[in-house]
Amino acid sequence: MSLTITCPICGKRNGYEFRFGGEDKGPRPDEDSLTPQRWCEYVHLNECVAGVQKEWWVHKDGCGSWFTIHRDTVMNVEVAKPEADR
Amino acid sequence: MFGKYKPMWGEKTQLKSSYDAVIIGGGLHGLATAYYLAKDHGITDVAIIEKNYIGFGGAGRNTAIVRANQRTQYNVPLYKEALDLWPILTKELDYNLMFNNCGNLNLMHSEAAMKAARMTIATAQFHGVESHLIDAKEAKELVPALNISEDITYPIHGAMFHPPGGIVRHDAVVWGLARGASKFGVEIHQQTEATAVNTRNGKIVSIETNRGTINTNKLLISAGGYSAALIYGMVGIKLPISVLTIQAMVTQPLKPLLDHVVSSGAYHCYANQTLKGEIATGAHMDQWPNYTTQTTAHYIKHQGEALSEFMPCLRGLRFMRIWAGLADMTPDMAPILDGNDHIEGFYFNCGWGYFGFKSCSASGKYMAEFMAKGQAPDMIKPFNLRRYEQHKLMGETAELVTYTPNN
Ligand SMILES: Cc1cc2nc3c(=O)[nH]c(=O)nc-3n(C[C@H](O)[C@H](O)[C@H](O)COP(=O)(O)OP(=O)(O)OC[C@H]3O[C@@H](n4cnc5c(N)ncnc54)[C@H](O)[C@@H]3O)c2cc1C
Ligand SMILES: [Zn+2]
Repeated sequence: MSLTITCPICGKRNGYEFRFGGEDKGPRPDEDSLTPQRWCEYVHLNECVAGVQKEWWVHKDGCGSWFTIHRDTVMNVEVAKPEADR
Repeated sequence: MFGKYKPMWGEKTQLKSSYDAVIIGGGLHGLATAYYLAKDHGITDVAIIEKNYIGFGGAGRNTAIVRANQRTQYNVPLYKEALDLWPILTKELDYNLMFNNCGNLNLMHSEAAMKAARMTIATAQFHGVESHLIDAKEAKELVPALNISEDITYPIHGAMFHPPGGIVRHDAVVWGLARGASKFGVEIHQQTEATAVNTRNGKIVSIETNRGTINTNKLLISAGGYSAALIYGMVGIKLPISVLTIQAMVTQPLKPLLDHVVSSGAYHCYANQTLKGEIATGAHMDQWPNYTTQTTAHYIKHQGEALSEFMPCLRGLRFMRIWAGLADMTPDMAPILDGNDHIEGFYFNCGWGYFGFKSCSASGKYMAEFMAKGQAPDMIKPFNLRRYEQHKLMGETAELVTYTPNN
């Protein structure tokens, strides 16, 4: 499916060079006082937004870096960072 | 030929302001649940709210494969009952669901795969589901089109043979269930979009639609690939789901040559011949979440290569149509059937991935019982959402299916 992703190092490339790495869920939760619910949320649960979401990708067949982008999941295109996140 | 046609399910009715139960999603599971609510539990004041038209989702896009040779103890009995229900539903609904129990042949391409198949077969047999391990020669006897030579990319070592499975006509299931449910008085409201859910003191009280508010204290969200976004957006419950696009295609029609469903994990390809003669084949998923139903040239090429290796007589055939739908994948490849827990009167049924056709008969039956009694029947109790925080994942897959930073 047509998708291009912008790697911070290599620039805009064919989406098939990358691997999706999940919705951005913020930093890994602290081990102290970590509950099964919080861990489950971090590991498994998604918002499945139909719209723009911030998400992780890795440039698997390229430089190997991990980075986040914003993508519209309904149109399946990378979009600019929304105002609110800047 | 140009005469007046009558709608198959009921007359167009006004949307009322209140129902005993409301179901969001006129797909397989929504229709089946409504049918059983009415038939088994006498709950007939039910509205199915469908944004597009019934069968718009996976219901009208799947490749119609049914089987019961799942992998784990809780899944096999549920899928077995679903499989056993097709002939019963055909009679009950008085509608030909075209169940063709031609049998499924799942090809194994290594000794390790044969070993894994032994385990799955033992589980199936333990639960009374017919399943056998056969070698490559026996597979060739069943399906002469197979290439069992050594010099293909993934030589065939043998197969898991599951005689009672096969194909059911997917559109017929949609129409048959819709007609069956509406005969009991269930209302199907197409072109009606659910937009919000209202709760009071932890209980469901009503939903909002583009045609107004509907009061109810029993609500089921069963909207296939759209469920996870709706459930999070409307009631704030996050689910362990990733929604991917899945594709399938058919070739030009041929004379009968393939009378089994053949599938191969290594080639990432399955195929069967439809009653119209086409070779229906699937299924590719691009590995990132999205709500498009786009198809890819990349996949057409892949499918052409795979099919012409393990069934070389198909070389030179033309593909006629390709399409896509959504698959809501869970990490353990088992669905989530839950309700009356997080919010009183709120039920949900999703996460079927690409297994939601073969299962809809049984899942509808048990979700209806769940909604009627307020308590999960034993058959579906293990499929609750809390299993993820309790680390009781189901193991329908040897390796977790995750689209996360961890892989
Ligand atoms: C290409 C492909 C091949 C497949 N092959 C197989 C197979 O061989 N065997 C198998 O078992 N399964 C298969 N599946 C999976 C199966 O089709 C699905 O799991 C199944 O359709 C799910 O049923 P459902 O009733 O949950 O959802 P769906 O059938 O998707 O129905 C959901 C409905 O909800 C409606 N909806 C969405 N949002 C709203 C809203 N806000 N308000 C009201 N209504 C809404 C949609 O319009 C849709 O009609 C396949 C799927 C695809 C796409
Ligand atoms: Zn790069």
